[in-house]
Amino acid sequence: MDFSTSLALIAPELVLSLSGLVLLLVAAWAGDRSARVVSVLACVALGAAFALCIPVVSGGLAGPDRIAFDGQFRADAFASLAKLMIYAASLAALILAPAFLERIRSMRAEYPVLVLFSAVGMSIMVSATDLLTLYIGLEMQSLAAYVLASFVRDNTRSAEAGLKYFVLGSLASGILLFGMSLTYGFTGSTAFDAIGVAVSGELNTGALFGLVFVLAGLAFKISAVPFHMWTPDVYEGAPTPVTAFFASAPKVAAIALLTRVLMEAFGGQVEAWRQIVVFLALASIVVGALGAIGQDNVKRLLAYSSINNVGFILIGVAVASTQGVSAMLVYLAIYVPMTIAGFVAVLMLRDGAGDPVERIADLSGLSRVRPAVAWCLMIVMFSLAGIPPMFGFWGKFVVFQAAVQADMVVLAAIGIAASVIGAFYYLKIVKVMFMDEPAGVIEPAGGQPGNASLGALLAICTLMISPFGFLATGWLGALADRAAASLLLLA
Amino acid sequence: MTDSRILLLVLALPFFGSLLSALLPRTARTAAGLVAGSVAVLATALLIPFYAPVARGEIVRLEIGWLPTLGLDLVFRVDGLAWLFAMMVLVIGALVVLYTRYYMAREDPVPRFFSYLLAFMGSMLGIVLSGNLVQLAFFWEMTSLFSFLLIGYWYGNRAARDGARMALIVTATGGLCLLVGVLLIGRIVGSYDLDVVLASGGTIRSSPLYLPALILVLLGAFTKSAQFPFHFWLPHAMAAPTPVSAYLHSATMVKAGIFLMIRLWPIFAGTDAWYFIVSFAGLATLLVGAWAAIFQHDLKGLLAYSTISHLGLITLLLGLSSPLAAVAAIFHTVNHATFKASLFMAAGIIDHESGTRDMRRLSGLARFMPFTATLAMVAAAAMAGVPLLNGFISKEMFLAEALDARGGPVIGFALPVLATLGAAFSVLYSLRFIHQTFFGPPPTDLPKVPHEPPGWMRRPIEILVIACLVVGIVPAATIGPVLQSAVRSVLGAQTPTYSLAIWHGFSAPLLLSMIALATGTLAYFRFRDALNRRAGPPVIARFKGGRMFERVLADIVRRARSLEGLFGTRRLQPQLRLLVCLACLAGLLPFLQLGYATGGLPVTPLDPAFAVIWIVGGICAVGAAQQAKYHRLASLVLMAGAGLVACISFVWLSAPDLALTQLLVETVTTVLLLLGLRWLPKRQPEVWPDDRPPARVVFRRSADLGIAIAAGLGAALLAYAMLTRPLPDTISRYFMEQAYPQGGGRNVVNVILVDFRAFDTLGEIAVLAIVALTIFSLLRRFRPASESIEPPVQQRMQDAADLHAGGRRVGDTKKDYLLVPRIIMEWLFPVIFVFAIYLLVRGHDLPGGGFAAGVAMSIAIMLQYMAGGTRVVESRLRIRPLRWIGAGLLLAVVTGVGALAFGYPFLTSWFRYLELPVIGKVPFGTALFFDLGVFLLVVGATALMLVAIAHQSIRTPRARTPARPDVPPVIREEGED
Repeated sequence: MDFSTSLALIAPELVLSLSGLVLLLVAAWAGDRSARVVSVLACVALGAAFALCIPVVSGGLAGPDRIAFDGQFRADAFASLAKLMIYAASLAALILAPAFLERIRSMRAEYPVLVLFSAVGMSIMVSATDLLTLYIGLEMQSLAAYVLASFVRDNTRSAEAGLKYFVLGSLASGILLFGMSLTYGFTGSTAFDAIGVAVSGELNTGALFGLVFVLAGLAFKISAVPFHMWTPDVYEGAPTPVTAFFASAPKVAAIALLTRVLMEAFGGQVEAWRQIVVFLALASIVVGALGAIGQDNVKRLLAYSSINNVGFILIGVAVASTQGVSAMLVYLAIYVPMTIAGFVAVLMLRDGAGDPVERIADLSGLSRVRPAVAWCLMIVMFSLAGIPPMFGFWGKFVVFQAAVQADMVVLAAIGIAASVIGAFYYLKIVKVMFMDEPAGVIEPAGGQPGNASLGALLAICTLMISPFGFLATGWLGALADRAAASLLLLA
Repeated sequence: MTDSRILLLVLALPFFGSLLSALLPRTARTAAGLVAGSVAVLATALLIPFYAPVARGEIVRLEIGWLPTLGLDLVFRVDGLAWLFAMMVLVIGALVVLYTRYYMAREDPVPRFFSYLLAFMGSMLGIVLSGNLVQLAFFWEMTSLFSFLLIGYWYGNRAARDGARMALIVTATGGLCLLVGVLLIGRIVGSYDLDVVLASGGTIRSSPLYLPALILVLLGAFTKSAQFPFHFWLPHAMAAPTPVSAYLHSATMVKAGIFLMIRLWPIFAGTDAWYFIVSFAGLATLLVGAWAAIFQHDLKGLLAYSTISHLGLITLLLGLSSPLAAVAAIFHTVNHATFKASLFMAAGIIDHESGTRDMRRLSGLARFMPFTATLAMVAAAAMAGVPLLNGFISKEMFLAEALDARGGPVIGFALPVLATLGAAFSVLYSLRFIHQTFFGPPPTDLPKVPHEPPGWMRRPIEILVIACLVVGIVPAATIGPVLQSAVRSVLGAQTPTYSLAIWHGFSAPLLLSMIALATGTLAYFRFRDALNRRAGPPVIARFKGGRMFERVLADIVRRARSLEGLFGTRRLQPQLRLLVCLACLAGLLPFLQLGYATGGLPVTPLDPAFAVIWIVGGICAVGAAQQAKYHRLASLVLMAGAGLVACISFVWLSAPDLALTQLLVETVTTVLLLLGLRWLPKRQPEVWPDDRPPARVVFRRSADLGIAIAAGLGAALLAYAMLTRPLPDTISRYFMEQAYPQGGGRNVVNVILVDFRAFDTLGEIAVLAIVALTIFSLLRRFRPASESIEPPVQQRMQDAADLHAGGRRVGDTKKDYLLVPRIIMEWLFPVIFVFAIYLLVRGHDLPGGGFAAGVAMSIAIMLQYMAGGTRVVESRLRIRPLRWIGAGLLLAVVTGVGALAFGYPFLTSWFRYLELPVIGKVPFGTALFFDLGVFLLVVGATALMLVAIAHQSIRTPRARTPARPDVPPVIREEGED
């Protein structure tokens, strides 16, 4: 494999890292005055990286041609589809930030740079085909994320969120590393395909230990139950644009990474990990649904909802077939705009003093104060509950279908029972917004800075999860199918 | 010929109308009504031509390719049954629209109402016209959603809000069950296409997944059609505006469940499971609904329970599994839709014109509204099953089927009796509805003076009642062919011969019918006063589904909250504990599953001395962890001890190069930490009420100790198991073998660093430089917290002693106490410097190298700082860390680029031995320059960090009273300018 070919394959990552480094220097010299410019340039870089991934996805490229650096990295359609979602979500995080951070005078030029570095890390994660590449990507993403969580550093909640995320994340990272070294020790390789060869046939005890710890470490990253404890705290404490980012892009990356590890490295031992994944899925669905009930803060509620969604996504992983992976990708593609729309809507609500509103009780009668936001939030809630005609239904449907096709009926049934509990709570929010008397906390729309871009983002995301989303099902399904096929091609 | 594409138009029209209506201004009642009405009429007109092919037994299909990979195509199909239901949805829809226009108050936002109503109508049409089960389930959930909006239309009313939410949760849950049921059917059949599914009844019934699929589908149907025990949402939905009730609870919504059961009857019916589940649910619903209806005082409540009861009747018929019963079920579905819609509308008129729906207050209304009274009476008679009306004919068929039911003597006897009982109840409540409302003395305390409604508001009822009459008198000529085509589309070859006529001669069903009529009438006149006094139905009053539902929901909320209170925590420590415990558990699981086995490698016997060293190291490590909470300095010293043991281990295991590096790194880190420790705030000592920690704390700490031991032991066991297995073939052998031939060095670590992996090293030293810069810039503006400024206790004591002793000034002791070490260290400085150079030069072959040399050099500088103090050192030495860093980095890069100049790849090294005078033969390679770069950079980086920390001592502290006279001026720091 030629060095320049490898470089060509990592073009999106190169674009992002180089722009990140250059922008870091710009930020260092020009200071926070350049925050806007740096943000715009970071958006351009993300857009370029996005464009570079499109041909790979639409062409469904796969196979040995897409392997870079002697099997360390693979830029196939699966990775590129995940990258598209990651870049789009990062773009949203950049667009969201100024409106929130500038008001509290915390908009710094480092923010877009950190998002860029995080995006590079996630890119590497989804393309990793070696434990070491995996770890580098994961840590790169995580380190940027720790800083982002505590970005508003004079706010104690934000600082606490960052510290908690860092301490717990490091511990999880240690567990993951331990699992990786065990895997290496027992299989003799860090490359996914070589591990796959080593564990095919009879299950090696040591490799199973490694697998369990790797799964535990990754479960933390996707905040699957029982490794979810940090999620509500960090989501609540982190600045809302950062929370929107956390709930979308890193989830995609970690899930894609998990899928690749399971399907490629441990694809020969599906029975060994399926029960673990099924457990994670069910626990996440149930705890996510039940946990949401007790919340009176919208961000905590959305945190639990993301836990719940991860459970559904894991059903697709547990199916362990092309169909399952495809369903998982479709779910992710719906989940990302859905969750971003939720956070954008929350971000747009301000009280009289201009402070963000996060309490559910304060949403009372929102339909009369901010009708447009209320309608969008309603679509988000119905979509989260999976009620047709909202597009969220489609995600649940494909996942359930994959589960039923794989004869995992009980899994689907429990998933349904839990989504009913979840639906109950999402409906309560709709009720509060549309049927209760206005609480008088939220200000009507006014000349708040940055509202136009927020509004546009909200409109786009809502449109994607509205019934119009169904127009894209064929196209989305074909892309996901091809991506899933590319993942399993060499496995 | 009809174009199947028109079907799409029929389906799309209501949704377009809905959008259009939503865009109308709030007050545009008439315009919205016109939109809705014309949509309904137009769709009806478009659908009518389909009757011709349908009557011939054809199925009109429209397929739109969508997702062939998932087996999903959009299929719209119309056959007899679908046509019948679609017409019902549209025609009754049109009548409801007309009625709504006059029913709604001026201040209601009517366009929104029509928008919801049309969307609901479209969803309902979607259900009946779907030719694909997934699509059906989709529209099914949409009806749940829009019924939620319709029921909650008057959201100012709490009952409406709660009723809407309850209806949505119950029916949407059922919808999800249906979805999975459908997926199961798809799994069995391999297709979701309705025609394919209907053709594979045998496959489905013999499949092991039959029962789960059946139960899930029935859960969907039962929740939607308000079957016992899910019937409770329907009465609560009565908080909706009356047109909504008239529409949802006659022809649509609740009929969706019935439709589904009829649709899937050919594939599901005929098994015992179907027979028992469906018949039992139907029978229970029939009786419970009828019994509860008797005791209602609210007109709409009575109609709601009677709806439940009639739905139960239809379900029971379907459960009986005989083709004739299925015919009766279809027929009764149509009849019920007709009379129930008119009754709801009549109840709405009564409410509208008299201001109340309470039957105990209403009386003698026939005088005020004779037309409405007549219409209501006819419709109620149809509900009671009085001859000459449509309800009579289908009820006859029902009783006949009840008599024919299979299933042993008990069922054979019980079913007719219970069916007759249900019929009698029906007569009773119908009579009560009519008699109490329209007959008797004029009402006394009504909110309004009752009068006839506007003529157009009555028109829909008139049309429906005429239909009841016509069908009741000449059934075969009117409904006959339509019914026949619907029946044939369901039953196909099984279609029985039946006759629709009001007179079949004196037969057992007729007898039962008469008994029911008589019993019902007698019972009403016997018990009517008692009925009016009762607050709720006896026997089943205890079972309040709605309240139980609310209670269950409240319970879930409470439990979920308490669960979160129990298991959720926002504190970091429990979260960490949980994470470690889970990791232990995760490690334990495969252990339990597969057992523990060490590998086959022979184990080297343990040298006792080595073991002692490790025990000491272990104790140091544990002590460091323990002391971290109480005494940071002790903890640091212990940590250094553990590090030292690691160094000794390396020596022991014949890795002197590693040992040397480790030793130097240990020293540097310890010293840097030590310097930093000075500026951390002191730990607060623990203060407990009675001088020792309470049991809770002791327990927690012991538990933590246990967890730590378990985790450590687990990790050790795993590592042991791994180490006793043969090592994987690693790259280290290659390095061992090639270090000398290719890199010209015998110190493999150094050769790897400066030659094989020089590129990595270049990156690493760059990172090291960045880290040093970062630390420097972070600490540059750092001012120690004021509580850390206090001189240490020892110093204060010495100062106090100086003060009191004669001939000494304060600070003398401080100045002198390190005199001897200071001189020693000053003398040592050149020695260490030479030692560092020695390490650097010999590094390629023997333990040492640029990194080790750099660290050694840093130690020399550090010792100067520690012994002499910042100002003394910096007044004598020129510490220029930034230049060193820059020079080192530059040198390393230049060395690499040099290779390019000779046509080799970046960082290729060149190596030979040089004969030097005096010294003799020495190895020489370009790698040495690279190593020198590393050396300079390491010295620079370490020194920079040192400067950053050391300068704290000479800086004005924060938050102190300004300008303490004894604080020296801040000296110039490199890097700050």
